[in-house]
Amino acid sequence: MDQAKKDELEKKLAEGVVEFDDDEVKEASEEWVATGEDTYDAIFDGLVTGMEEVGRLFATQEYFVPEMLMAADSLYIGLDIMRPHMVPRDTGVKGTVVIGTVQGDVHDIGKNIVKMMFDVAGFQVFDLGRDVPLEDFLKKQLETNSDIVCLSAMMTTTMMGMPKVIEMIKEKNPTCKILIGGAPITDDVADKFGADGTANDATNALEEAIKMIVALKDIQKEASKN
Amino acid sequence: MTEAVMTSRDRVLKMLSGEKVSPVPCWSGVGNVTTAGLDKLGYDFATVHHDAEMMAKAAMSTYEIYGFEVVTFPFDLCLEAEILGCEMNPYADTKELLYPTIKVKSKNTVEDLRAMAKDPSTATKGRLPQLKEVVKIIREKHGNDVAIASYVLGPFTLGGQIDELEPLLKNSFKKPEETAEYLDALADIIIVIGNELRNMGIDIITTREMGATTDVLSPRVFKKIIMPPLKKIAQSQTGPSVLHICGAVLPIIDMMVEAGFDALSIDSKTPMNEVRERVGDEVVICGNFNPFLALNNGEASDAYNMVAECIKSGVNSVHPGCDIWPSAKSENMEAMIRACREIRP
Ligand code: B12
Repeated sequence: MDQAKKDELEKKLAEGVVEFDDDEVKEASEEWVATGEDTYDAIFDGLVTGMEEVGRLFATQEYFVPEMLMAADSLYIGLDIMRPHMVPRDTGVKGTVVIGTVQGDVHDIGKNIVKMMFDVAGFQVFDLGRDVPLEDFLKKQLETNSDIVCLSAMMTTTMMGMPKVIEMIKEKNPTCKILIGGAPITDDVADKFGADGTANDATNALEEAIKMIVALKDIQKEASKN
Repeated sequence: MTEAVMTSRDRVLKMLSGEKVSPVPCWSGVGNVTTAGLDKLGYDFATVHHDAEMMAKAAMSTYEIYGFEVVTFPFDLCLEAEILGCEMNPYADTKELLYPTIKVKSKNTVEDLRAMAKDPSTATKGRLPQLKEVVKIIREKHGNDVAIASYVLGPFTLGGQIDELEPLLKNSFKKPEETAEYLDALADIIIVIGNELRNMGIDIITTREMGATTDVLSPRVFKKIIMPPLKKIAQSQTGPSVLHICGAVLPIIDMMVEAGFDALSIDSKTPMNEVRERVGDEVVICGNFNPFLALNNGEASDAYNMVAECIKSGVNSVHPGCDIWPSAKSENMEAMIRACREIRP
C-alpha cells in the first residue's frame, strides 16, 4: 500500500469514528486488512486520532455523552477487525489492567470510556463493572497479577472506599500500580489516598498507565541485572 | 397574616406560588437527611428506607434539629423502579453510609409500562403504602406547621434506573422516535405515582431529571425527546411542583421554564446571576449552593458565605444544588439557617 492510500484510509477511519459511521469504519478496516499489512498505524493514526478529536469535541460541548458512546462503538468495530493483524511492537508496552467503579457507585459512563482507551492500546483489560465490592479488586488483582488497577468513583462518599482498596492491594502486592479517577478526584486526593496516579480524562489515563508500565518494566530490568 | 406568625409550610408554599417571602425560606425538595439526625435517633441509614416510622422520624430530623423548612422523603432514587419490579440494594452489610442503588433491573417494555400505567394496583405497589403511613406520622406530630415534600424521577433518569443507560443514551440520538415513545410511557407511570403522592397529602413534588443534564445530553436532544414528557408531567400536577436538573443547565434554562413547573431548582454549576438575567424576575428559582463544599468540606463560615451569596444573587429560596450529604457538619447546617434568617437580598 502506498503512502497516499494509507493516508486516505487513516483519514476515513478517523472520520468514521468522529461521525460514528460504523459502515465507513468497517469498510476502511477491511480494506486495510486485505492488503495484509500491519494495522498498527491504522489503529493509532486512524481510529485513535478520531477518538482524540471526539474527546476534544466533548470538552468543548459540541459532543455529549451519546455521541461519545456512538463513536466508541464505531471504534470498537474497527478494533475488532484490525487488532488480530497488528504486529506487536518491541518498544510498545503491553499491560494488564483491572478496572471498575467502586462499591456504592453506579456511575460507569466515564469508567467505560477509560476502559476503551486501554482496549485500543492493546492492554488486556479485566472490567469488574460498577458497584464493585472493595475486596473484589484485590481478588482480581491477585488472580490476574495485573500491572495496574484502575478505580473510578464519581461521588465524594464512594471515593472514600478507594484508600481501602489501595491499602489492601499494596499490602499484598506493593509493585502493583494504582490509578484512580472520576469527577471528585484531584491530584491532592490521589496523593492522600496513596494512589500512584490520576487523570482527568481517558487519553490522559492511558498516558499515565503507559508511564507506570514503563516504570514497572524498568524496575524488573534492574532487578534481573542484579 | 403577618410574616412573623406564618408557619414554615406557609412560607415555602407562598414562595412556590411566586410571592416574595422574607427572610427567604431554606428548604430542599431532594435528599436532606443528616448523619446527626440519624445518630440522634440511633438509626442506621440502610434500615430507614423500608420502615414507615423510621423514615418519618429520619425525615423530620432535619426540620426538628435545625429548623430546615421542609420534611422530605424518601432518601433514595429507587421508589418508581421498585414499583416497576426492580430490586434495590440498601447496602445493609457495609459500615459506610451508601446511597441505595438498583441491584436488579426490571427492563420493562413499552407495552409493560402502558399496561401498568392503566392498572389501578400500580398505585398500591412498592413503598407507596409505606409513604402514606409516613405522611400520617408527620402530620400527627407537626400538623400543618411544616411542608411535606417528595420527589419523582424524570422519565430519562428513570429509564436509566430500570434498564441499561448506555443503550438509552445512544438511542436518544439514533432512534429518537422509539426513545420518545419509551419516555412517554415512563411519563405515564410517573404521573400515576405523582398523583398517588398528592393523594397522600404530600405538599410539594419535585421532578428530578438529573440524568438529562447538559453534562450528558445536548440541548438539541433535550428539546426533542426530554421536553415533551416533562411537559406532560408538569401538566398533570395538581399542587406545587418543582423541576430539578443539576449540572450546568444555562443552555436549557429557557426550556426548563417552558416545561411549566411552578419553580425550578438548579445547582451551583449554573450561575444564578445569569439565570436571572435570562428568565426575568417572575420565574421562581430555588438554589443553588454546592452542598458538599458548603456543609461537609468547609467551615461554618464558608457555609454562611455561600448561602449569603446565593441570596444576594436572587434566588426565591435557598436550596442545595443536590442532596445534602448526610455527613454534613452540624455547625455548617446551623450557619446555613442563620444566613437565611440574617441576609436580605
Ligand atoms: C449521569 C449521572 C448519574 C446517573 C448515572 C448513570 C451511569 N450508569 O453512570 C444516575 C442518574 C443513575 C445517577 C445517580 C446518582 N447520582 Co449522579 N450524576 C450523573 C452526572 C450527571 C454525569 C456523570 C457522567 O457520566 N459524566 C460523563 C463522564 C464522561 O465523565 P466522568 O464520569 O467524569 O468521567 C471522566 C473522568 O472523570 C475520567 N475518569 C472517570 N473514571 C476514571 C477512572 C480512572 C482510573 C481515571 C484515571 C480517570 C477516570 O475520565 C472520564 C472520561 O473523560 C453527574 C454530574 C456531572 N456532571 O458529573 C452526577 C453526579 C456524579 N451524581 C451525583 C449524585 C449525588 C447521585 C445520586 C447519589 C443521587 C441520589 N440522591 O441518589 C445517585 C447515586 C447513585 C449511586 N449510588 O451511584 C453527584 C455526586 C456529588 C458528589 N460530589 O459526590 C453528581 C456530581 C451530580 C451533582 N452535582 O450533584 N447519576
